[in-house]
Amino acid sequence: MKVALISDIHGNLEALSAILREIEQLQVDDIFCLGDVIGYGCDPGACLDLVDKYASVKLMGNHEFAVLKRLSTDSYTPAAKVSTEWTKQQLTDRELTMIAEYQMLHEFEGITLVHSSPVAPDKWQYILSADQAEPAFDHFSGNICFYGHTHMPMIFREMPDSSPRQQTGHDFDPADDTRYLVNIGSVGQPRDNDPRACFVSYDLENSEIKFHRVEYDITKTQGKMTNAELPDVLVQRLAVGR
Amino acid sequence: MAEIVVKYDNKVVERIVTEKRRLSIGRTNENDIVLENRGVSRKHAMIEFNDKAAIVIDNESLNGTFVNSRKVSEEVLRDDDIITIGKYQLIYNSQNSSSTDDAAGFDGTMVLNTKAHRKLVEKDRKERKLVERYGGSLLLGGENTDFSEYRIDRDVITIGKAKFVHVRAKGFWLSGIQAKIVKENDYYKLVNLGRKGKTMINGEPIDNQELKNGDLISVGKSTYKFVEGKNR
Repeated sequence: MKVALISDIHGNLEALSAILREIEQLQVDDIFCLGDVIGYGCDPGACLDLVDKYASVKLMGNHEFAVLKRLSTDSYTPAAKVSTEWTKQQLTDRELTMIAEYQMLHEFEGITLVHSSPVAPDKWQYILSADQAEPAFDHFSGNICFYGHTHMPMIFREMPDSSPRQQTGHDFDPADDTRYLVNIGSVGQPRDNDPRACFVSYDLENSEIKFHRVEYDITKTQGKMTNAELPDVLVQRLAVGR
Repeated sequence: MAEIVVKYDNKVVERIVTEKRRLSIGRTNENDIVLENRGVSRKHAMIEFNDKAAIVIDNESLNGTFVNSRKVSEEVLRDDDIITIGKYQLIYNSQNSSSTDDAAGFDGTMVLNTKAHRKLVEKDRKERKLVERYGGSLLLGGENTDFSEYRIDRDVITIGKAKFVHVRAKGFWLSGIQAKIVKENDYYKLVNLGRKGKTMINGEPIDNQELKNGDLISVGKSTYKFVEGKNR
């Protein structure tokens, strides 16, 4: 069985369409979406529809939580606040109902899927360092936990002394007797200095995890965001992947 | 403290700074440097450090350990040496440490049969044959050269436009003797003697730099590849 894992699409329809074309070539059995389909970008509705059509598992991200008014945006950056308000206005009741059904966490064949952290999925903590990863290893039972939220592809491997070792996301063959936390990067707003859309495929039989990077028409996305009068900082960052 | 930068597909995946005397490299997580790819053996190689040097030792791995594209069993490392293991590249930077380990066997390591790996193995085989035939380090003629192989058979080889140099080079504004290759201890270095910016290693202008296996030398419009003759 082979699955594709996608996260942090953030209303970027061009990026999502590009990775879906790539996923089609991979002939995966399932697509799992780890949340933040919306927010920042200018096509939240179209992205929600595509995810609804193709993904068999859909997880809640903090941006979905925010438009459902389950999370205050007080701690958000000004640009994130503006885009959350803008996104709320775009969504139909049907789309809001769709989002309300997203899961907080999903377990599947010994694999845990969560948007931010298995420690407290509704607290939206970041796992960016070995120190932050260490407690997370105590909060999932299987060997691999895939997550998103930080937009930074990363691998944390639990070493024999239980301390996590960090590597930048890259293709690897996970061992049966080792536990991992894997950040699958962002489809619609990468922040690792590589502007290409990012997703992960996992071949369970052959035990292979691959990080895929896909080019898409960034200029087109930027033009649409500018026309929608979304904050310029969100428009510019797409081209540099930061 | 020594630093090893681990790269995959030209992207840095990890930086390891260590004061250890020995670093083990392999696929499983009991190694100091874990490279989780089936082309890497469980206990693939080792870097040993003593007060003076760092030595990479291949642990009879299935797919081999390469230093600057040359297959090695044991090799003293120099700064910026590139160790290739499976699909990973490890770049070494000095300040010392490392050791040996027990034998490898078939341990679930897959024979690498990628195009890049086949090319690396084939290139290494060809260059070893040449080195064997000539009995030392060589220059392979590239663009604007009048030889395909030139044996570096003395301690100083001059390169330039003049008629009396050992290796003729072409190009505008080149000096009569533009550069020389000089033997220093066990290694060769390339020294610029003429006009600045006309002597380069791997596209970078140099004044004086140690040569490593596979380095691409250009003097004016002429290019040469340096093949190191030590029996690595």
